[in-house]
Amino acid sequence: MNIIYTIIYLVTALIAVSGFYIQGNKYIRSMAMTQGFQSLLIAIVSFMLGFVLKEYTFFILGVLVIILRVFLVTYFLINKIPKNKSYLYESKLGTTYLLIIDLIFIIISIFIVYSISFVYIKTVTFPVSNILLFPLLLFFQGLFLIASRRRTIAQVLGYIEEENSLILLGVFILPVPIIIESSVFLDVLILVVIFSVISIEKPVHEKMEELRG
Amino acid sequence: MIINILILIIPLIASIFYKKIKTSSIIVSIIEMFLLILLYFSKTYNGFFFVDNISFIFILMVDSIYLLSLLYSKKYVHSIKNKGISENFYYLLMNFFYVSMVFALMVNNYGFMWVGIETTTISSALLLITEKSDTSLEATWRYIIIVSAGVTFAFISVILIYYSFHTLTVTAIIYSKAKDTIAVRLAVGIALVGFGTKVGVFPMHTWLPDAHSEAPAPVSAMFSGVLLPVALYVLYRIYEIFPMRELFVWAGTVSVLFAALFLGYQKNYKRMFAYSTMENMNIALIGLSTFTYIGLIGALLLLLSHSFGKAGAFYSSGNIYKMSDTKDINSIKGLINNKMSSASLLLSSFAVTGTPPYGTFFGEFLILYSVFSIHFYAQFIIIVLSLFLAFVSINFNVSKMIFKGKSDYSENNVNTLIPLIAAIISIAVGVIFLVVYNEIL
Repeated sequence: MNIIYTIIYLVTALIAVSGFYIQGNKYIRSMAMTQGFQSLLIAIVSFMLGFVLKEYTFFILGVLVIILRVFLVTYFLINKIPKNKSYLYESKLGTTYLLIIDLIFIIISIFIVYSISFVYIKTVTFPVSNILLFPLLLFFQGLFLIASRRRTIAQVLGYIEEENSLILLGVFILPVPIIIESSVFLDVLILVVIFSVISIEKPVHEKMEELRG
Repeated sequence: MIINILILIIPLIASIFYKKIKTSSIIVSIIEMFLLILLYFSKTYNGFFFVDNISFIFILMVDSIYLLSLLYSKKYVHSIKNKGISENFYYLLMNFFYVSMVFALMVNNYGFMWVGIETTTISSALLLITEKSDTSLEATWRYIIIVSAGVTFAFISVILIYYSFHTLTVTAIIYSKAKDTIAVRLAVGIALVGFGTKVGVFPMHTWLPDAHSEAPAPVSAMFSGVLLPVALYVLYRIYEIFPMRELFVWAGTVSVLFAALFLGYQKNYKRMFAYSTMENMNIALIGLSTFTYIGLIGALLLLLSHSFGKAGAFYSSGNIYKMSDTKDINSIKGLINNKMSSASLLLSSFAVTGTPPYGTFFGEFLILYSVFSIHFYAQFIIIVLSLFLAFVSINFNVSKMIFKGKSDYSENNVNTLIPLIAAIISIAVGVIFLVVYNEIL
């Protein structure tokens, strides 16, 4: 592996680490900012791959990620977060406990999903196929974030993390045509706007008797 | 090609007349029915759009339920006291919802199909809070987060299809030589989980009863009657790439079993009909998954008849809710005094439980026949028992609501004609099938 591929590998690993940072965080605003940083790292990976493979679509993808994910999505999330302190900081959340559960969940999921299926998928754009572990890890990280948190914004961040993992997965396996990727980005952006609208009305989610059974 | 574009554009043009959108939407839905006739004679098998006999039946369902729901909405939505969205915005979203479903059905590209399905979530999410309450907000949230997370998973399937075939064109892939690789198997399996979330496959079905019970009646009818079948259509198109019969039939069978069990203890009549949708969608999934001609005909017949029957059931539920202000089965008594409402409720509950001569009965019969013919005996027995359980649960509850006790509900402020028409069309589907296709039986 030449030096640029090694850097890509390290940046991708950092993306996965940022997922753990979001999971272990109690400050909603900081979580939203980390999501922006995570998206920026994905854009960097895309640019570097575009540079190595001399493929312009990776540059378009990188620019789209920066405009839509790094700026617009982060802007919407930061602006729609309710301003009261009790919402911004999840004091009752046992983050250490959640992180341990998260690690167990992810290790088991990755072991099952990767070892029985994705291990046979050879990446087209990267020399080492085990790089697929990182997007998969981020995907399950996003799922766990949705399941483990009650705050609307935290669940939205889990969803965005899932979407980020798919960009990363696509980038390493074989990027789908850019027109489709753009449509996916726009869809997600509108969903985030709808998420934000609902988060104003319903910032926290609890079990409801009417919705049981 | 031009007709396909017109079908997609005309509802959006109606949205330009925002202040008169209620009337313009109904006019547009009638125009769409005419365009559908033209579409039948100019089906497209190549290019950007792909409309064959299978997709045509799905488009027919979407168009019909869209028209019925708009007509029913006129009185229903207007009378909602605490609206979460304005009446005009409701019709705007209905138009977008319709266009996104038809787009997913007509497009000849797996990537755009995914976009279409995701867009149905976007356009329909806010429709759920038309009748605004804390519960409907929570149901909306669950709908968006669970379905979006599931459909996101389905995108992995799209990536893997592209990786395997270097194209996403549906016709190019399904008419090419079958490929048996790990990537293709993985793509089809992941699609079952991803799109299966929207179809209502167990255990990803949890959004379904919440969304159906809290949405206003015409939206529940759209969800149950056509949204889930549209997701099923996309799943079927992926399944055609590499039919994993055993996996899909088992997934459907387990889902039907659980739906039947859940039906046994429902107290809310809208949730009861939602679980009935889960049951019917999974029976259709089983029919499609058998990958036989009889199974396919059975599934299409079931879906077509079910769309009208279930629309009728939800419209009737909407009327009952307006008259009684409760969704509790045990609190509803003596509906027999309200002739039209009780007739539509009874007829539509027969329709969704597969009573002869409804199309659902023939559909289920053909599906069971095809399951038996491919020697899936264990699944056959489980499905038959589940169907019996579901039939008893639903009809027992509906009979209780109609025949037990006395009431003084007034039908003055509700639309009783549309639910009855929908239920009667469901019978007509069965009768027409019996006359036209009797050689299959």
